[in-house]
Amino acid sequence: MNGAPIWQLVLYVAATIALIAVMIGLSAVLGPRHREKATVEPFESGIVGVGTARYRFPVRFYLVAMFFVIFDVEAVFVSAWAIAFRQVGWPGYWEMLVFVAVLLVALAYLWRLGGLDWAPRR
Amino acid sequence: MELPNFSLALPEIFIALSGMALLILGVFRKQEATQGIAILAVITMVLAALLVPAASGNRAETFGGMFVVDGFAVFSKLLVLVASSLCLVMSVNWLVKEKLERFEYPVLVLFATLGMLLMISANNLIALYLGLELQSLSLYVLAAYQRDSGRATEAGLKYFVLGSLASGMLLYGSSLIYGFAGTTGFDALAKALEHGAPVGVIVGLVFVLAGLAFKISAVPFHMWTPDVYEGAPTPVTAFFAVAPKIAAFSLLVRVMVGPFGAVTAQWQQVVVFVSVASMLVGSFGAIAQSNIKRLMAYSSIGHVGYGLIGLAVGDQVGIRGLLIYLAIYLFMNVGTFAIILAMRQKGRLLEGIDDLAGLSKTHPMMAVAMAIFMFSMAGVPPMAGFWGKFYVFMAAVDKGFITLAILGVLTSVVSAYYYLRIIKVMYFDEPKEALDRGVSGSLTFIMGVNALLIVVFTFIPSPLVSSAGAAAASLFGG
Repeated sequence: MNGAPIWQLVLYVAATIALIAVMIGLSAVLGPRHREKATVEPFESGIVGVGTARYRFPVRFYLVAMFFVIFDVEAVFVSAWAIAFRQVGWPGYWEMLVFVAVLLVALAYLWRLGGLDWAPRR
Repeated sequence: MELPNFSLALPEIFIALSGMALLILGVFRKQEATQGIAILAVITMVLAALLVPAASGNRAETFGGMFVVDGFAVFSKLLVLVASSLCLVMSVNWLVKEKLERFEYPVLVLFATLGMLLMISANNLIALYLGLELQSLSLYVLAAYQRDSGRATEAGLKYFVLGSLASGMLLYGSSLIYGFAGTTGFDALAKALEHGAPVGVIVGLVFVLAGLAFKISAVPFHMWTPDVYEGAPTPVTAFFAVAPKIAAFSLLVRVMVGPFGAVTAQWQQVVVFVSVASMLVGSFGAIAQSNIKRLMAYSSIGHVGYGLIGLAVGDQVGIRGLLIYLAIYLFMNVGTFAIILAMRQKGRLLEGIDDLAGLSKTHPMMAVAMAIFMFSMAGVPPMAGFWGKFYVFMAAVDKGFITLAILGVLTSVVSAYYYLRIIKVMYFDEPKEALDRGVSGSLTFIMGVNALLIVVFTFIPSPLVSSAGAAAASLFGG
């Protein structure tokens, strides 16, 4: 086998492990360790927490986050096309048209399914 | 920039358009349209299967070399389309009986199939990844389709988390390969690696291999298989067991033989290990199972091991053996799952092996079909499964992989125990409570067709053998 010698890779892996070991080890050795009444409270001062963090969110928040991710990522592709607009020419235009059409189908599906009704039902 | 040649990708374009059309149709017609949409989806796949050979001929590339069509792709695509449509036909009855009619089911199956077709035709690491993800994302949702069932959601979540891990490994490997070889195209990679590969490419290759081994559930990346197979709804399990495996196997073969053909000696040892480990886990893991879906999961791990022998050999004969094996595996599995789907008692689906007791007295024809499938899976001569194993083992012996072939024979003897146990339970145990009569027409049809195909292949193997041979030859530029 030719190419780069393998010791470089081994060194890289070893260095990664060593770095992580040092970071975790040092903080374990040097870090302060004391347990008082306030240690487990949030922020150790200020406002005392109310209730539990395991709160049941309405699923709509999740939906909004999902749609944001989906359509935001798609927008990135459109930006990439905008940069290379002149180079890709008409074929690029048609391909982007297909891409947006596929997105529209997805949007129509979400719409009809009620995925965009975020107000509480009355 | 030129417009690409669309005619080569006609089946894929057709499935994509129909899938979107059916999605919109479904969302406007609501759930009562499910059956109609399922039928339309099956018709779509059948039409796509008719379009596949039309796009063949010699090896041709399109979309800037991202997409390749050759005899090998045509063979695998036909297998995948047959598998998907058979599984969808099986599902319709289940959807109705379990009152789970949602039009997304057939649409998701269509999109998963589209992803598989893209995987088979991928000629670039990026195209490979896109196809794989389109397939996987649809499958994750399908696994959790029965969302009120705790087991199904657990299966879906497990599959999703582990599947993402595998995708991550695959991506990491691809990035290493790109970093060291400077290209993601398979043709360019083959040229770049002609005179040996830098060590980074080899490391990347192992990661890609690990990611793909996960998708075909080969040991040591098999841990998800029994849980997901048991938890997922039965028709979805049937789908998982055949179509994605065939697609991932074709992809694995194309990646290993094509761009990395020059470093065969490096990946061969990995594949040999994975193959031996899969055969061992598959045959010994299944012995203690009492749930038939878990048993089928271990059985599929074992079958993957046998198929991998064909890849480990790495020549034209080996790949031919693998393709024959995959084709037979498809029909045996779909048939067996059709029988599992017919195991109902007072309308409830059963999954225990004991529940088959006395099947020969209550449902004699079903018992005969199951016996055919089990004998074939065990590889009892002269059943089709025996020929599948025969061609892989012969390829291994020809190339001097004698230990591999011997291990294969020994593990298939072990696995014969649990296949034959099912036959014993069906024919010699007293029935406790008979299964429901009146098995639906579509399930009977699938059982019958698959059993018939197994029998036909047993006596007339030449059409499959020669077409698999031609497909393997096209991969090696013959």
